[in-house]
Amino acid sequence: MADIELSVPAAKPERVKPAELVQLIVFRLGDEDYGIRIEQVKEVTVTPEVARMPKTPPFIKGIANLRGDIIAIIDLEERFLLRPAGRAVPERSYTVAVEAADYILGLMVREVPRPFTLPQSQIEAAPDFVQDSSTRDKYLEGIAKLPDGGIIIVLDMRKLLTPSEVMRLPGKSASS
Amino acid sequence: MKTRDQEYRELFMAEALEYYDSMSRHLSELERNPNAGPALNELFRLMHNLKANARAMGFTDLGEVAHHLETLFGLIRDQERTFSGPLIRVVFAGVDALGNMIRAVGANQPLPDASALLDNLDRLVRGEAPVLDEVDEGDTEEESNRKMELSDLVYIQVKKLDNLLNLVGELVIDRDRIMTLAQEIGNPALLATAQHLFRISDDLQYSVMDARLVGVGVLLNKFPRVVRDVATAENKEVELTLSGQDVQIDRNILQIITDALLHLVRNAVSHGLETTEQRQAAGKSAIGHLTLSALTERDDVLIQVQDDGRGINTEAVRRKAVERGLITAAAAGSLNEQDVWALLFEPGFSMADKVTDISGRGVGLDVVKLALDSLGGQLRVESELGIGTTFTLVLPTSIAVKGALLIEVDERPYALPLMHTDTVLSLEPSQISVVGGVLVTHVQGLAVPLVPLRLLLHDEGDDVLPLASKSELDGPQQVLVVNYNNRRLGLVVDRFIRQQNIVIKPLSKPLDTIDLFGGVTLLGSGQVCLVLDVPALTRLFLAKRP
Repeated sequence: MADIELSVPAAKPERVKPAELVQLIVFRLGDEDYGIRIEQVKEVTVTPEVARMPKTPPFIKGIANLRGDIIAIIDLEERFLLRPAGRAVPERSYTVAVEAADYILGLMVREVPRPFTLPQSQIEAAPDFVQDSSTRDKYLEGIAKLPDGGIIIVLDMRKLLTPSEVMRLPGKSASS
Repeated sequence: MKTRDQEYRELFMAEALEYYDSMSRHLSELERNPNAGPALNELFRLMHNLKANARAMGFTDLGEVAHHLETLFGLIRDQERTFSGPLIRVVFAGVDALGNMIRAVGANQPLPDASALLDNLDRLVRGEAPVLDEVDEGDTEEESNRKMELSDLVYIQVKKLDNLLNLVGELVIDRDRIMTLAQEIGNPALLATAQHLFRISDDLQYSVMDARLVGVGVLLNKFPRVVRDVATAENKEVELTLSGQDVQIDRNILQIITDALLHLVRNAVSHGLETTEQRQAAGKSAIGHLTLSALTERDDVLIQVQDDGRGINTEAVRRKAVERGLITAAAAGSLNEQDVWALLFEPGFSMADKVTDISGRGVGLDVVKLALDSLGGQLRVESELGIGTTFTLVLPTSIAVKGALLIEVDERPYALPLMHTDTVLSLEPSQISVVGGVLVTHVQGLAVPLVPLRLLLHDEGDDVLPLASKSELDGPQQVLVVNYNNRRLGLVVDRFIRQQNIVIKPLSKPLDTIDLFGGVTLLGSGQVCLVLDVPALTRLFLAKRP
């Protein structure tokens, strides 16, 4: 299982302010780009064989053996209902292993995640109405606006991955 | 393999040498400052321990010297003697003599004669002047000849051994993987190396497991005091017999069952055994007998708590369980003796009408079951009214490796620890009947409920399981009968794969909240295999049965 090189391209010579740069691992969920700070990412790999685990919500794809660590693989598209109807999970997917406080979790993504460096100043705090703090923790760190007009939604993994958040059962509609 | 005697001797040596080093240190301090209270207390304690150990090992001369020195230090501590003058020389000579004797024990030589020293110590204790050799010409030579020695034993934190065991577990998993790959590739050199790796890691695993073993005695030997205290509080006369202290078990397993055993023993003294009057009235010996014993049975270790008390009053337990709302009166009536006894270990069950210091505080025998469940152990109960009760804890020798049966459901492998499996059956539909919506078969004349494992695994929500019907049964059914707390349950699976020793890795967060799985293991193929928890499966079935 080959790791994908996490080589980071040289910072663009926009302004000489190196201390302000942020490195993200960017991947696609649904039709948007999402990013996680590289410090929170342990490894990016082709998704290993996943064993479906009974008694877990459907967005938990199962467990997999990542170098001896047994980790849960979760599908954020399903978790946040981002996957357009009819689009299937591809045969070959990738897993971004992220480190939560005291455990590791794998995020399954459909395309090869890529590293991206941008100045901290480009990340704007997410507008309040996006964050419904009564039901979801504030796991959106902010939104990065790119020069070409695109955006990257920056997630704060440590807030997304509390055990209660991960295990939240999506009602009784669950069937597997 | 070392004999038990040798092992004890090594332990004694390690401790004795450590005592000897501390003695020399404290003695030097005392010489500098004759009023150093802590050093004096420590010397007194060290002498006392050395005396006890030496006597237990049968080194009476060594014990005698330590005893005399202990007496002398006691006098100094009580300020009846002062640490000064000729006394200092005798004490130093005494400690040197102890050192020589300890070394003689280590070298398996006869102990040097110490009668002159003992006489001098006696004189000092009596308050007379010691008889000292005028010339001590050997002194300087002895100084230069004195050897420094380090103990043959190291003390090691259990945490470090735990870490070692985890690493070995990982190694074994990878080894199995390499073995499978080598067989697939078929290169003879690779295969030979893989087989060698297999043997070495096997040896390594057993060495690490062996390093973690301790005698059950280290726990059992704490019980005479417990029994005495409980018996005194309950005003009973109890004679405790210990046996099987040499039986070896993983240190952590012993740690986990400590509370459980404490509960069983307290329970046996306060509830199991009768008072002297009751015993005499029943024509029994006045003194109650309690036996704590350890023995090995196949790969398991059994620890038994046996009393010759009143036995379990099955009908009283049945009534109490209904009173406490654990089961309905109707259900209680149909339970057999073993099933009723199992109720004793349910949370919230207590027979005590009166609350004493010792028992009946609502903390019940359920801690026993919890401890056993966490280890994958079993509990057996035997009891006869008026004769006595025996509780048997069935424990694995080691935590790391467990025998397991691999089964398949929906093309996924699952492992079930052998500790909880009774038997496997292949049943024709004609051997299965439907009773109250539940599939039932008969094993050795006893009705055993059956449930497709698939249903238990994929059941969601709080609804009861669907009513079973025989029309769903197609062809022979593969059934694995599991046993938990004397309850048997037949799990219908797709296929049996094989029996295998597995290394169980605990599930990491956030999945560790699902109690149906005791952990995961990796198969030689690299496949992740969930380990099913039989207690949780049984509880789920009982909660969900139609």
